[in-house]
Amino acid sequence: MVTINVNGKQREVATAANTPLLYVLRNELGVMSPQFGCGLAQCGACSVLLDGKEVRACVTPVSMAAGKEVTTVEGLPARWARQKNLPAVTAEKTLHPVQEAWIEQQTPLCGFCQNGMMIKATELLEQTPKPSDADIKAAFTTSGPSAHLCRCGSYIAIMDAVRYASELMAKKGGTT
Amino acid sequence: MSAASETISVHGAQLSRRGVLAAGGALVVGFAFARPSGANAAGTTLNPALSTSWLEIHPDNQVLIRTGKCDFGQSSIYTAYRQIVAEELDLPFEAVTTVVTGDTDRTPDGGGTFDLLGGGVPNLRKVAAYTREALLELASQRLGVAKDKLTIQDGVVSGSGKHISYGELVKDHDFKLTIPVKGELTSIFGLAVSGDPPLKPVSEYTIVGKSFKNSVVVSKVTAKETWVTDVKLPGMLHARTIHPKTLGSTLVAAGQLDKGKFPGAQLVVKGNLVAVVSPSEWEAIQASRQVAATTQWSDWKGLPGTTGLFDHLRNKADWKAVAVNHSKPSSGNVPLAMAAAVKKHIASYEVPYLKHAPIGPTMAVADVRPDGLVTVHSHTQNPQALRGEIALMLGIPIEKVVIRTYSGAGHYGRSNGGNAGAEDEAVLLSKELGKPVRVQWMRADDMQWSTQSSAAFSDISIGLDAKGRIVAYESDHFMPAMQDDRPIGAVLAGLPTMPAPSDKGQGLNTIANNVSDKWVYDAVPNLDERAHGTWQVGQRESPVAVGLRNHSMRTPVQFQQNFPREAAISEAAALAGADPLQFRIDHAKEERLKHVLERLREESGWEKRSSPNSRAASGEALRGQGVSVMLRSGSYWACACQITVTPSTGKIAVGKITMVVDPGIVINPLQLKRQVEGGTMMGVSEALYEEVSFDQGGITDQDWRSYPILKMGDIPEVKVVLIHRPEVGGYGQGSEGANALAAPAIAAAFFDATGKAARRLPLKSDYVLGLLKA
Repeated sequence: MVTINVNGKQREVATAANTPLLYVLRNELGVMSPQFGCGLAQCGACSVLLDGKEVRACVTPVSMAAGKEVTTVEGLPARWARQKNLPAVTAEKTLHPVQEAWIEQQTPLCGFCQNGMMIKATELLEQTPKPSDADIKAAFTTSGPSAHLCRCGSYIAIMDAVRYASELMAKKGGTT
Repeated sequence: MSAASETISVHGAQLSRRGVLAAGGALVVGFAFARPSGANAAGTTLNPALSTSWLEIHPDNQVLIRTGKCDFGQSSIYTAYRQIVAEELDLPFEAVTTVVTGDTDRTPDGGGTFDLLGGGVPNLRKVAAYTREALLELASQRLGVAKDKLTIQDGVVSGSGKHISYGELVKDHDFKLTIPVKGELTSIFGLAVSGDPPLKPVSEYTIVGKSFKNSVVVSKVTAKETWVTDVKLPGMLHARTIHPKTLGSTLVAAGQLDKGKFPGAQLVVKGNLVAVVSPSEWEAIQASRQVAATTQWSDWKGLPGTTGLFDHLRNKADWKAVAVNHSKPSSGNVPLAMAAAVKKHIASYEVPYLKHAPIGPTMAVADVRPDGLVTVHSHTQNPQALRGEIALMLGIPIEKVVIRTYSGAGHYGRSNGGNAGAEDEAVLLSKELGKPVRVQWMRADDMQWSTQSSAAFSDISIGLDAKGRIVAYESDHFMPAMQDDRPIGAVLAGLPTMPAPSDKGQGLNTIANNVSDKWVYDAVPNLDERAHGTWQVGQRESPVAVGLRNHSMRTPVQFQQNFPREAAISEAAALAGADPLQFRIDHAKEERLKHVLERLREESGWEKRSSPNSRAASGEALRGQGVSVMLRSGSYWACACQITVTPSTGKIAVGKITMVVDPGIVINPLQLKRQVEGGTMMGVSEALYEEVSFDQGGITDQDWRSYPILKMGDIPEVKVVLIHRPEVGGYGQGSEGANALAAPAIAAAFFDATGKAARRLPLKSDYVLGLLKA
């Protein structure tokens, strides 16, 4: 039995320890935002944050998440609220600035890859609050096991949204 | 009072009051065939018992709309459709609160998700127009004011000092408006609303033309959307299909399932359809790999392989099985004019097979009940056609089949004829096992067993006179059949499907080709454009009639024809010593085309000069510019790109692309801009990277390394210029089209930079290095 922390909650996992985290999240824990795209860590559709670092859930055995904190898109609002010490009431109504930016910029086309894109953006902005265009491109292209792929071609909208999220985060008191 | 006695004709639609209700009330807009005994209705698969409405107006002034089309990224259903309906009904955008899409038991019209704006008059626009007239009729009766004395604003009908809202009109009444339709529900086109209700004049538009956000974006960004991948049914089993070794293989012996290692798994074999199921998805994946490793298939070598493809197409394929189609504008005497031409550009162009390559491989959940009812949960973009395919496969009436649709990974036309790939497999496994089954294809399945966009080649001749003007243009476009809608699981299992494309096939089931790239150079006096079709590669050599199965993909057929035409026009401009942008203007008559090109010149930083660029060299890199144009579904497109070529590596970097589009009426500028940006990116990807590789047995690409697509680090700067021309009157098209422009513009820019003509896609480094050496 593996115990992992998913979006702030301790969850016990019954599935075999070598099961990729993606199937545990989706099929056992009902956390549905990470999507199956390739199963090969080549596209980023399944990305989650593991202790703040983006990993590919499709190739990460759940045992590797034991004792660590998994954050998915479902947990982004709470992550932001915790970082900003927002009161619980506010936190419930809050979206993460990355999500706000993704809506404001109308970033998703089909949207299937955008889970991973928002996870990557969150990782980037937590480390680099004011990224240059080159920083953004590098984050989504060369920083992980593979580039984050979008077949609909929303890359420009993603860059617009990352810049917008950066501004929003600065307005809301900077990043932690 | 009987309903019949209250029926009124409203521009050919029938308005009736079915009764008075104690509470609630609505105006429900349904349909009936325009000519019940006419030719269009003969053999219809429409269930007359269906009560599904197009549109409902409720007492709280809220409006619900339904469409058989599905959104997978175009946004039109949630933005443009709401705007169009609100506009015709004179309601605020926000009043259209609910959009029901796709589900075969909850939407009326069917049809594939393409041409969303229906040549300017989509079904829902006509439905709303009929409804407006019916509401005016009801208001006239209620207020006792003649219809022509009534006006409508924000859903309130006023006249002679009296007024009443839509909500008040329908409150406590059970009104039904029956509008005429024609067509075939489960065909690729579905039902079309007929008749000509009065449409609101474009000059009075207040909602169409404004940017509204897409409601679905919120649920997708906040992880509240139910994707097809999220569907879970009680007792559901996870399945992985073990697809044959080659496209033409038959099963010799299925491998043994190691029950000791995979106790929950089960092997299912139906003909050549082999699958492993388990309550655990991870067990299903592992067990399927174990079984696949020991499953034996017959060998088959019926394909020419990637390197032999164009030799096969040119020299071995049968182009005589079907008639050659000439384009409509073809006219004049090309041989005579060509013989008199002073200069000629004669060249051949090649476009490879392309994968739709959705980010999520196809999947489906099916639930076949003991009573024979079949429910399929799918991300198809034509659920009614899928319904027909499933019914045909099982030999049951369509009334026994329900398709529910959900958001899914965009797949760019691959399922517009019905199946998205896995539905039939899920149905067969569920029927066999008596439990709901979820089939998820793995990445390699999607690369190797889905359909692809067909390869094509074109021979083009352009004759110039002494002044450098085109006096004759001649093209021969060769392409195997583009649309094979047979569900592959049904084929593998040996069950009934529609026929493979053939010389006998009708509509999209034919192997005949047509000229799809609309001619735009109206000043050319002698023109002959010909389209030649043939069988899909390997189909007739395959014992299971499966070769390289093709399916239309974004801007289908036109993509394959516009690349050669536009690349050739740029080369002809060079031969004439002319600026390729001005050369296009000089051969156009249509003012809209000239205008997009003139705007392109202003907006793109175009350098007025001929190609090649005498000052291309800049340090290590060569700089070039290129232009392309296209007319599709009433939209005029123009594209300019600036690239750099690094001769030492053969790498092309696209620095900037400018896209100018005139679709007529721009319905939603914000959404159109995002669509154009996205399509442009796909176009760059197709131009630089994409080509399906295959050997003699099947496709060898299996992942994103073997079939790479554009990455963010390689994107160009993109400038989108939208030209709103309400006077045109029609809605053009935005989500499709944009991907076709980049390839010919990049090829032209490559020629500009290097003086070498790139006549084959993609412009990968090895091809570029070869061109530079030649």
